[in-house]
Amino acid sequence: MAPRTVAPFGPQHPVLPEPIQLKITYEDEKVVDVVPAIGYGHRGIEKACELNEYPKNIYLCERICGICSCIHGISYCEVVERLWPIDVPPRAKYLRTIWSEMSRTHSHLLWLGLLADAFGFESMFMQFWRIREKVLDLLEMTTGQRVTQSISVVGGVRRDIDDEQKKKCIEVLREVRKESEALINVLANDYTVKARTVGKGVLTKEQAIALGCAGPHLRASGVKEDCRMQGLQAYGDLGFEPIVEKDGDCYARTLVRCRELLQAIDLQLEAFSKMPEGEIAVRPKGNPPANEAVYRAEQPRGEVFYYAKGNGTRNLERLRVRTPTYANIPSLLVMLPGCELPDVPVIVLSIDPCISCTER
Amino acid sequence: MPLMLPTVIRNFFGGYATRLYPFKDVREPFVRARGHIEFDENKCILCGNCARRCPAAAIEINKEKNELVFNAAHCIICEVCAEACNKDAIRVEPKWRAPFYSKPVEVHHPKGKEKAS
Repeated sequence: MAPRTVAPFGPQHPVLPEPIQLKITYEDEKVVDVVPAIGYGHRGIEKACELNEYPKNIYLCERICGICSCIHGISYCEVVERLWPIDVPPRAKYLRTIWSEMSRTHSHLLWLGLLADAFGFESMFMQFWRIREKVLDLLEMTTGQRVTQSISVVGGVRRDIDDEQKKKCIEVLREVRKESEALINVLANDYTVKARTVGKGVLTKEQAIALGCAGPHLRASGVKEDCRMQGLQAYGDLGFEPIVEKDGDCYARTLVRCRELLQAIDLQLEAFSKMPEGEIAVRPKGNPPANEAVYRAEQPRGEVFYYAKGNGTRNLERLRVRTPTYANIPSLLVMLPGCELPDVPVIVLSIDPCISCTER
Repeated sequence: MPLMLPTVIRNFFGGYATRLYPFKDVREPFVRARGHIEFDENKCILCGNCARRCPAAAIEINKEKNELVFNAAHCIICEVCAEACNKDAIRVEPKWRAPFYSKPVEVHHPKGKEKAS
């Protein structure tokens, strides 16, 4: 029997943009055991939210994560609105949907680039990030900033998209779709890409459910589960159908995200065509009442869960956030043992780990 | 490789995707972009609406000294102060603030109240 060696994978590793450590035990080149360790980037945001006044928490919640910041801000506003409850104007719902999907588009483009980078396809990485830049420009044009958009407020949104911007958005999104399709064709059919992803890190449907996975990771194992199916915001009007793959390997997870990327662009285009006229925000009356509320939203990485408890003052008594990567990390303990050492970066990246979300 | 070939050929003849900085200027920010905020001392009456609502606590008001202290390094450019200002004394400019070595602190002495009286 070959000697067993324990090697740390992270917290500083070229494939990981954020700090998580996996203690990997391997024999020869085969992984036999994995122990994840988190806690390198904890910032105490949930506690800070209790100390802040409720309108100021929007900007704090947006800083839970840089990539899905827009959806974090929107989810916080939605959960606080449920404490009254406040009915958000229909146009604001559509605008929130558009910005959520725009954020998903750039997140998936980012991930596809990172995946290409993880198995050494540098030029593909550059190509995906070049397309992503166009989406970030759209976000800057419509919201004012590229990353932390600060667009949602309790009761609606802060800015409207006028006709000129709408025209520009539609034009750019069509371009992005066309360019993404060409790259996805390469990514989905290339021999080398398939060699590095097909059959790697398999997670069966039963395992995915038992481990409580979320998001594209769960859907790649054949489970039809997506928070957008609730029909909240404008998703009910847009005829949304979740994308599901059956194989549960890295290739299936890539395909789910590729198809979701195109679907997100289609949803935005549809939302632009159906967006009603009218108000974009209502003013909340008084402080959040003593009440409890929950809200589930679909982030690019999976389901995010917000719980808020009000006490009649301007501060919340409790805010709890459950993020998708925290739910997806246990699946690594099933997927990694048995794999070859060079496949570890691809499998770890295939859950789209977002550590700043996880540790808050 | 054959699948990637059309993209390779297109990029080979398609010119640069990036701007050739510093030989060419960076693109202008969008009209509604949030670059930095500026105070108009002639309009400000030191009411403190901005300081109360600022989520990053970047604005301090001292009425006794007739001072508004703005910590630009704390500012997250969320535009809340500009929305809260009743006197239009805060403007959001699209241009980004230049990088700095030491944290800039702006001290303003508003004259809006004197003008009103």
